[in-house]
Amino acid sequence: MSSGPPGGAAGDRSHRDAPARVRVTAPRAGSAAASIGAQPYPGSDAPTSDIAGVYVRSLVRSQLRLAIVSALGFVVATTCFALVVAFAPGLDEAFLGGVPLSWLLLGIGVYPLAITIGGLFVRAANRNEARYRSLTEEA
Amino acid sequence: MNPAIGYTAIVAVALASALIGFYGLRVSRTTSDFYVASRRVRPWWNASAIGGEYLSAASFLGIAGLILLTGSAALWFPIGYTAGYLMLLLFVAAPLRRSGAYTIPDFTEARLESRWARRVTSLLVIVIGWFYIVPQLQGAALTVRITTGLPSWVGSLAVAVIVAVVVAAGGMRSITFVQAFQFWLKLTALAVPVVVLLLAIGGGDPPAQLTRADAFPAAAGPGSLDVYRTVSLMVALLLGTLGLPHVLVRFYTNPDGVAARRTTVIVLVLLSVFYLFPTAFGFLGRAFAPDIAQPGQADALVLVLPDRLIPGPVGQLLTALVIAGAFAAFLSTSSGLVVSLAGVISQDLLGGSVRGFRIAAVASSFVPLVVALATESTGLAGSVGLVFAFTASTLCPMLILGIWWRGLTARGAIAGMTTGAVLSGAAILGGASISALVPEVRPFLEQPAAWTVPLAVLVTVLVSRGDRRGLPRGTDAFLTRLHVPEPERR
Repeated sequence: MSSGPPGGAAGDRSHRDAPARVRVTAPRAGSAAASIGAQPYPGSDAPTSDIAGVYVRSLVRSQLRLAIVSALGFVVATTCFALVVAFAPGLDEAFLGGVPLSWLLLGIGVYPLAITIGGLFVRAANRNEARYRSLTEEA
Repeated sequence: MNPAIGYTAIVAVALASALIGFYGLRVSRTTSDFYVASRRVRPWWNASAIGGEYLSAASFLGIAGLILLTGSAALWFPIGYTAGYLMLLLFVAAPLRRSGAYTIPDFTEARLESRWARRVTSLLVIVIGWFYIVPQLQGAALTVRITTGLPSWVGSLAVAVIVAVVVAAGGMRSITFVQAFQFWLKLTALAVPVVVLLLAIGGGDPPAQLTRADAFPAAAGPGSLDVYRTVSLMVALLLGTLGLPHVLVRFYTNPDGVAARRTTVIVLVLLSVFYLFPTAFGFLGRAFAPDIAQPGQADALVLVLPDRLIPGPVGQLLTALVIAGAFAAFLSTSSGLVVSLAGVISQDLLGGSVRGFRIAAVASSFVPLVVALATESTGLAGSVGLVFAFTASTLCPMLILGIWWRGLTARGAIAGMTTGAVLSGAAILGGASISALVPEVRPFLEQPAAWTVPLAVLVTVLVSRGDRRGLPRGTDAFLTRLHVPEPERR
């Protein structure tokens, strides 16, 4: 079971041959090319019993639920934001640097929202996977 | 404008891209290296490369031009271009990386176990890629015409040739370097001029300027939003991003699913920062360059504004920088598209060899060149938006349902992709002539995604439901592979 932050530590550890990885940013002669056939098949060491299937289905369901909730959250928040920018009184008349506040807000306001939802989603998705891992390792 | 500046900037970017490309050639040896850079690209590199590949002529020139032309409705374009990556993160990033396939057609065949589903997907990928390259070449034509005075076709031809040579010689690993470099070049090339222009306007005597109310009329402001068009545009941009062939292929270069997610979040950040600058250019243009607010001309705003506001050597230097960035945009997006198209064409038609990839790369560059030479650009952001609508109606339903719904069958996917392609293709190609007869339908044909995407999904689901026997045998194993985290390696 992964102990450190799921992103950084797991990602770095997953490389068996560190020298080959360096090759990308500091290219030098080498071979060790990973072909698609040589890639380990992630599902292959998953047990085939019924319980394993239940675990997988529950993982897929929780990831899908998470994705849909995050997407809806973004759409609803963006819609509310657009309505406020469009109809809040005075935003068209207030100027900052010569540009109406309503234009400025629409031009920069949605991006922080997308990044925040993206960051929260990644944490939750990694947590779902960590839970799946601990369940299957116990079994 | 001084043509020497244009020539210098264009030649410098072309040389830099080619040099970095050939530098990568020395390590591109095996087939696997060629296609997906052996999956050993770090998230930051990868995210920069994704950003570099994604920020096309539409982003670099088109958004500022459209803000100048139509007002705040254009602000939804960069929002959609960025939020498309949020959808990609939520629904496809990690599973797609775990699928272990090289290209979207590979994914389709592995998931649906059908050669026909693969062929339909390949055809769509090729059509989408070609029509996405065309605006890049048109942007190059515009840039060359405005900045050097040479005829338009020189720009299109130059970009097509450079891309064909670099891709055929180096493959994708070298392209990863080129793309990452080009993201930072593009960001610098817009950010520095914006900062200098703002300082110049704030610090001295500003040149002739429109009054605030004339530059930003409420009639073009956020309050006068066309709801249908905006919603439909957002459907196209949010969902279209997931189906773009050159975007998907780049996710295979992440080492695992977790890294794929991390990369995507970094991409969100990079794009958010980048889009502040075309937006600022658009605002500046509304105040200081209202005279070029005409279709076909507005896209040149980013190129002509620095010289106008700061005449003299500083303005010329800034212009050179912007031209370099614009060329980086054309080169990087086109080469990303050519890499993915060449991957698809060579695997499906030419046996998947390195030589086949090279032949396919040359072919994928020259077909769009012919189209670009034969047609006239009416607005870069708009034409790229239509490609997104087409992608959202065809590849996106198949991908999302393929990843999340075990009931998808090959017949369902083919029916859905065909429906989406026919409907959105007809709306895009025949829209102008149909709405001349029936003016009421014009908005629905000009922004078709809001109805074509749901219909494509509906057809996919209904046909799959009626095709219970067609369920691929390996569905459960494949879905397990998509969603189960990689085993922690020894």
